[in-house]
Amino acid sequence: MELLKKNKRFEFAIFENLSLTTGRTLFGIFLGLLASGLLIALSGVNPFVAYGALFRGAFGSMQAVSNVLVRASPLLLGGIGVAIGIKAGVWNTGIEGYMYLGAIGAAVIGVLDLGLHPGLHILLCIVCAIVLSGCWGAIPGFLKAYKGVNEVTATIMLNYIAIYLTNWVVSNFPLVAEVGAFYPMSKQFQATARLPILIPGSSLHPGPFIGIILCLILHFVLNFTPFGYRTKMLGSNPFAARYAGVDSRKQILMIITIGAVIGGISGAIEVMGLKRRVFMEFVTGVGYESVAVALLAGGNPLGVILSALFFAALKAGGATMSIETGVASSMNSIIIGMCMLFVIGFGVIDNRKLKKIVSTDKDPENDIAAEKEGEK
Amino acid sequence: MDENNFALQMQDITVEFPGVLANDHVNIDCKKGEVLGLLGENGAGKTTLMNVLYGLYPPTEGRILLDGKEVHIGSPLEAIQQGIGMVHQHFKLVDTLSVIENVILGIPTKKQRLDLEPAKKRLLQLCEEYELFVDPDEIVWRLPVGKQQWVEILKALYRDCKVLVLDEPTAVLTPAESDQLCRAIRRITADGRSVIFISHKLREVIQITDRITVIRDGKYIGTLATKDATQIKLAQMMVGRPVTIERKSRPVIEDLKPVLVMKNVNAKDDRGIQALKNLNLTVHAGEIVGVAGVDGNGQRELAECIAGLRKPTSGTITINDKRVTGVIADPTFVGFIPEDRQKTGLVMDFSIADNLIMKDYQNAPYAQNNVLQYTAIKKHARDMIRKYHVKTPSEDVRVRNLSGGNQQKVVIAREIDPEPVLDIASHPTRGLDLGAVANVHDTLLKERNRGAAVLFISAELQEVMALSDRIIVLFGGEIMGELNGEDADQEVIGQLMLGHHPEN
Repeated sequence: MELLKKNKRFEFAIFENLSLTTGRTLFGIFLGLLASGLLIALSGVNPFVAYGALFRGAFGSMQAVSNVLVRASPLLLGGIGVAIGIKAGVWNTGIEGYMYLGAIGAAVIGVLDLGLHPGLHILLCIVCAIVLSGCWGAIPGFLKAYKGVNEVTATIMLNYIAIYLTNWVVSNFPLVAEVGAFYPMSKQFQATARLPILIPGSSLHPGPFIGIILCLILHFVLNFTPFGYRTKMLGSNPFAARYAGVDSRKQILMIITIGAVIGGISGAIEVMGLKRRVFMEFVTGVGYESVAVALLAGGNPLGVILSALFFAALKAGGATMSIETGVASSMNSIIIGMCMLFVIGFGVIDNRKLKKIVSTDKDPENDIAAEKEGEK
Repeated sequence: MDENNFALQMQDITVEFPGVLANDHVNIDCKKGEVLGLLGENGAGKTTLMNVLYGLYPPTEGRILLDGKEVHIGSPLEAIQQGIGMVHQHFKLVDTLSVIENVILGIPTKKQRLDLEPAKKRLLQLCEEYELFVDPDEIVWRLPVGKQQWVEILKALYRDCKVLVLDEPTAVLTPAESDQLCRAIRRITADGRSVIFISHKLREVIQITDRITVIRDGKYIGTLATKDATQIKLAQMMVGRPVTIERKSRPVIEDLKPVLVMKNVNAKDDRGIQALKNLNLTVHAGEIVGVAGVDGNGQRELAECIAGLRKPTSGTITINDKRVTGVIADPTFVGFIPEDRQKTGLVMDFSIADNLIMKDYQNAPYAQNNVLQYTAIKKHARDMIRKYHVKTPSEDVRVRNLSGGNQQKVVIAREIDPEPVLDIASHPTRGLDLGAVANVHDTLLKERNRGAAVLFISAELQEVMALSDRIIVLFGGEIMGELNGEDADQEVIGQLMLGHHPEN
């Protein structure tokens, strides 16, 4: 019996069965919800009632669903930006900053009345956002690739600079800032520079669909193009990548910059589709949540779609839950945190088991050790 | 020696993995105070058998007897309690702990405070007794690999094992250390303990053991007393066919066109120490130049410089009159079998198919209009698997799940099949079993006969002598001497390898 169980794992390990990871993730989420349910019960609310409210808040009406999608938009884009980094072996934690830069880029063009056709105006805004955020992302990209600076440190530091840069732009930069506003913000975007609302009466803009399409595109790019092959090779074995002639520096620079560009688009879409203005500190941690989204997805672009929607549903439904049942609104973050903890925890345990199988069961006669030691 | 006094008997052990019968009714027995050699090629099932003994997985069939009594071993802990000690190929030490901490790790104690002194005393006694000296306070990662092995052995002895299993112990040892290990094994068995010595190196097995059991393809082939065994006989049992390491005959190739030309090449190693000194070397088309030398005398840097992975500090390298300036990833130009296939030559988490296009992934037919053509990639992989006899259920299997020999076949297929003008083979047979070694040799010889220039780097003198048209000996980054492969004398090469000019 025990052997049978081991054999199953053995096959899983060989064929890299996706269902194992997916099943593991779902189980982790389930445990996260269970544990959070206990906490909700402790706070004196029936967890079933609370989760019912959460579910209704997320999926109860067309309005609710569109709300989830709108919230998913920056997470989808940010998540995929981080995910390609993970595939290449870099932690692109600068989404927050790229979003600000993208928003500034969009605002510089978007608040001007240029008398352009809406499509063209929007396109110009996006292009400007891409250029600004791309240049911004190239900084940590260059530092990481050519100077060996840790990308996490570099991007997070740059995030702060981006935040304060935005603060300055929306309060003091005459071209963009709204003068005499009650809160630092940019001028309103011209009607020609706003993204269309898809369902009248809701705030559903095309952002989430752009995000999903980008995830699909990057899934394709990663798995079916030489660029993706190079990226994954670099991520799983940088030595082999070098040996195969990959210019790893260039590749790292490109990957971080692409992540930045997607982050920039994300920021631009937020301000052009939802906020209509650039407010001071409008991103509020969504960039960091994107890292969690990508982590939950295991760096898998298709997984990013699911995990971004999951995060968004929890955030949207959590608001309803808190209003209807009186559970503290911070419970959202606790639920998310719990789910992450269990999912990642399972990942660690499972990896360890897999590793053990690899080193003992799988190639019983393979003298990895002997070779490794011998070649030192 | 009492004839019927078996310390360990394993009877009819069968272990089944999906699609693989790793052990098929294998029998071994080991008398008290005896060294039993367990001999077999890589993938024959030696380690599986020992892992059954160590309780790492249950056998599908069969039984284990210790001192004549049947025992059930469900976990390594039970194995240790029953007196079984195991030194794995891959050491199971905690690198950041000291020697003594590693030795006592896992031994239950009632005390709240850890008192290492008595343990240290006992360990030092053991060191003394078996002449395996290590400093108990040294941190393990600071120890050379050989010493780490002493720690593993002492760990088992500290637990007073009755049967000590050594899995490929000499793979990581220098010759001097191997001798020391031999002496230690003699002392261990003198106490009435038994040693099971796993290896695929015939010479050692004959030198150390009392009896030898051979397994092949998971099956029990036979057991014989070491005094009746010869290398040839054992090799035949192992591979099921006669093997030779005779010098290979070869056609004479007349027109020797220089392919690789190195002039005054200097290079540094990773630590910044001069590794190649004013090296001049020419390799012609249709010739195998063997590079002999003790490992670490510039071989790695030599190969890397030619492949463009390392930049020489001065000097020039040209291949077919083209100057080497960066990594050469053109598989039809240079084939490079790197010495560490798992670290450099393969992406372990990629499938076989993906690994086979590592240098070709952006070229037709594998990529068209910037899209990878998986139909072509997989077809290519199936062809290569067939042509190079890679043992695998499918081309989608991750390389990590292949045995060392089969991994090497993947590298060789990728590097040699495009028929490059220059082949660099860096320790291509390291860690491979006899059958696989013969395959590699044949492949390289075929390359030479096709007209490729072949640079063959190996630490095994015998294969260098068997394969090379010319032999150069590297010592301290310099070419100590150059010999004709046909009439090279092992003694002379040996002297050169140690840095002596024989005529002096």
